[in-house]
Amino acid sequence: MNLNKGGNGQPIVLSGEMYKSIADVLTDLSSKTRAKTIIFADMNGHPITQRGQTTEINIPNMAALAAGDFAATAEMAKMVGEKKRFKYLFHEGEKTNIYLSNVGEGFLLIVVFDSDIALGMIRIFTKRAIDTLSELLANAKEEEQKASKFLDVEFSNYLNQELDKAFNF
Amino acid sequence: MYINWAEQEINLKIVYYGPGLSGKTTNLMHIYNKLDSSMRSELVSLSTKEDRTLFFDFMQLEIGEIKGKKPKFNLYTVPGQVYYSNSRRIILNGADGIVFVADSQKERNDENLDTLLDLENNLIDKGESLQDIPWVLQYNKRDLPNRESVSVLQKKLNFWGVPYFESVAHRGVAVFPTLKEIIKRVIVHIQSI
Ligand SMILES: Nc1nc2c(ncn2[C@@H]2O[C@H](COP(=O)(O)OP(=O)(O)O)[C@@H](O)[C@H]2O)c(=O)[nH]1
Ligand SMILES: [Mg+2]
Repeated sequence: MNLNKGGNGQPIVLSGEMYKSIADVLTDLSSKTRAKTIIFADMNGHPITQRGQTTEINIPNMAALAAGDFAATAEMAKMVGEKKRFKYLFHEGEKTNIYLSNVGEGFLLIVVFDSDIALGMIRIFTKRAIDTLSELLANAKEEEQKASKFLDVEFSNYLNQELDKAFNF
Repeated sequence: MYINWAEQEINLKIVYYGPGLSGKTTNLMHIYNKLDSSMRSELVSLSTKEDRTLFFDFMQLEIGEIKGKKPKFNLYTVPGQVYYSNSRRIILNGADGIVFVADSQKERNDENLDTLLDLENNLIDKGESLQDIPWVLQYNKRDLPNRESVSVLQKKLNFWGVPYFESVAHRGVAVFPTLKEIIKRVIVHIQSI
């Protein structure tokens, strides 16, 4: 598994172990920053895991928009001669701020926090979390599990039945 | 595609591609309106004041648990206008399947083909091609009097002989059959890799 390739459309397969390690980093970041919501997603906008208030915010939509945000600003970075996408994006609101950082080439971290929390503190702890996450992802062993193993033929049969039921208008 | 073994989750990305005004957003709106809110997220549209898609539309479908697994389908549309070619390339990134929505009106023949070639070029840049990626064709606006015949459309656009649908998206005709077919193709493709 080349996790750096995630953003290029390569399939991303996370083992259970890896997922738990990522989740631990987010739990830690959440308790240290008192951020409202933290989401870890891939650059294609698929949410991977989240912490904090996760019911008020629509997580899939947030992750898709954050990925779009990075994609759009990556083009801007190119236009001004940057070699890589911007490392982070900061959106400041009246009551709530959003701090978006990339984690390697293929992943991103969304931190939603009250505007009375100091940005500097968010940045320091987020930076640490990103370092840990990057290290985790970089040391990931080649995954044995293939996508095809995840979806067996029985699964497709059941899925077809479910789709027939769900799309039966 | 993103698979999470711990959560037994699979996330797949399906992109509705096609020339401007062919009916891509309308497909998503129909899906949104018909499905129970437990099965889909809100529909986000990044559009201009005139309701033209500026960057993308997005909605997530969740079919529920199937044999303990949670498949999720992320549906995107691209903006069709020529000058948004960069946006199309970005949104195409990581696509597991494509629905090409063609506009059946005779005067849109050239735009359909140009956009299909634009799609193929964008895929080739990423080391993919219409020959390998799962995709289906949707001939939309079959209700209009100036529609091209299906046999001509087939000749002009369907070089690869993929499944095609004759739709009237704003009335919901063939919207779900199209979606079902692309999902099926994506799954079959994954099982082969
Ligand atoms: N007559 C007709 N109009 C349609 C059909 N599908 C969509 N439209 C209309 O075509 C226009 C453009 O549709 P839209 O979905 O925004 O196109 P997009 O640019 O591909 O996203 C809208 O006014 C739709 O209501 C169809 O099957 N027949
Ligand atoms: Mg549109």
